[in-house]
Amino acid sequence: MISFKNVTKKYGSITALEGVTFDIESGEFVFLTGPSGAGKTTILKMILRELVPDKGEVIFDDTDITKLAQSDIPYLRRQLGIVFQDFKVLPERTVTENVQVALAVSDIDQDEWKKRVDHVLKLVGLTTRAKLFPSQLSGGELQRVSLARALVINPKVILADEPTGNLDWKTAEGIMELLEKINKEGKTIIMATHHEGIIKHAKHRVLELVDGKVTKK
Amino acid sequence: MSNIHSKTAIDAIKRSPFQAISAVFVLALTFFVATTVAVLVYASNKSLGYFETRPQIISFIKNDAKEEDVTALKTKLSADSRIKDIKYVSKYDALEIYKKSTEDNPLLAELVSPTIFPASLEFSVTDLKLAEDVIRDVKSEQVVEQVGFTANIGGEKSLGDVVSRLKSISYYVRLGGISFVSALGLTSFFVLLIIISMRLNSRKGEIEILSLIGATPSFVRSPIIIEGVVYSLLGVFIGWTLSLISWLYVAPSILNYFGTIPVLPQNPIDFFVLFAMILGAELLIGLTIAFAGSLIAVKRSLKKAR
Repeated sequence: MISFKNVTKKYGSITALEGVTFDIESGEFVFLTGPSGAGKTTILKMILRELVPDKGEVIFDDTDITKLAQSDIPYLRRQLGIVFQDFKVLPERTVTENVQVALAVSDIDQDEWKKRVDHVLKLVGLTTRAKLFPSQLSGGELQRVSLARALVINPKVILADEPTGNLDWKTAEGIMELLEKINKEGKTIIMATHHEGIIKHAKHRVLELVDGKVTKK
Repeated sequence: MSNIHSKTAIDAIKRSPFQAISAVFVLALTFFVATTVAVLVYASNKSLGYFETRPQIISFIKNDAKEEDVTALKTKLSADSRIKDIKYVSKYDALEIYKKSTEDNPLLAELVSPTIFPASLEFSVTDLKLAEDVIRDVKSEQVVEQVGFTANIGGEKSLGDVVSRLKSISYYVRLGGISFVSALGLTSFFVLLIIISMRLNSRKGEIEILSLIGATPSFVRSPIIIEGVVYSLLGVFIGWTLSLISWLYVAPSILNYFGTIPVLPQNPIDFFVLFAMILGAELLIGLTIAFAGSLIAVKRSLKKAR
């Protein structure tokens, strides 16, 4: 489903990725791990086409997305659900509206909105928080909003960049349980984290990065 | 979908009401002045046209003149290269003109019959310098009783002077008005551009999130354009309405002062048609300013974001 072929990326004199090659199959749960600055976020940004490699190919569903036209990027991103460490929810919109934005962006028929929003809010356990604003939610709840927004468009892949980074252990566990549940439903999940406990506990495939190179596949 | 864009736009307006008020205020001022200048240009054109097309010479026909003699004189004058715009005014036409000018007092019109009015041939000369010769020639015609003229031809205050003075007034009204309105239009455009850029700056985080979850540039653009259009439409309607109210207030005095010179439409329907046409043009200009301002601001902002 996703393949990196000999990908290299430099920021000036700093090498973020060097000759990175790996494949991720549909339905897999993969951890991207490694110390800060190892290149985890760079990989996620390349899948999102926020960054383009200096060398190599990034294949998503048989398409080399490094060659994608600027106008096609939104359509690529609509196939990906993203969960950020800092949640990135819209502060002036309610939980429901935050989720609806993703549906509006993806041109999904408005008749389907209620059904979809209700479903994902139930899935992430935020049904009773639907009308609240982000300022009225806890960190864990904000991450669930972010996850609900990612899931509501029924993406092929969930990209999670340190989704538990700002959460306490118990809340992080809750988020991980949710991600496991989503993965069991068939979604591909790529999660960047340096949380050893989570990696050991979850027992999924680990891509370890050190200084921009994959040291463990 | 459009609901979400309208809601975003209205939320943005509510969040920064003073920015919205200043944008609407500047646009309203621009369109108030634009409406006022448009009516002034209309008035100067109309009065110029009135004086330009006004017959300069009227030759009154003798009561006993035969119709064929009058036709022969008209044909002769038509062939004269010094003369233009010949019009025959019958006794009945003359009565109608009299009735119209005395419509405030219908009794005056009831007391007269067409027989007391002479028929006439009205015309202008191609060059006012030729007027005295033309008048002398026409006076010598057998069917002509008397020759009258509408201004002191050849004198300092001739009709030619009036027309040329009106032309220069009309020119300056147009030039000054268009320059002033253009300057205000440009100011409105920049105010809109600045306010929308500030709005985009405050929505930077939101735009980044939208872009990451797959929003197309047009999705990001839509609420901004709606906001610009709201400002413009409000500006046009407020400016136009204030100008309309002002003109409605001063129109009776102006019409009274200028009398038969049609500086403003005398019929209320024509008056409102004039203002409706101005409104139509202003809506087009307003929408152009809104679209151009919003699009440029969004383009610059998205370019920076990439």
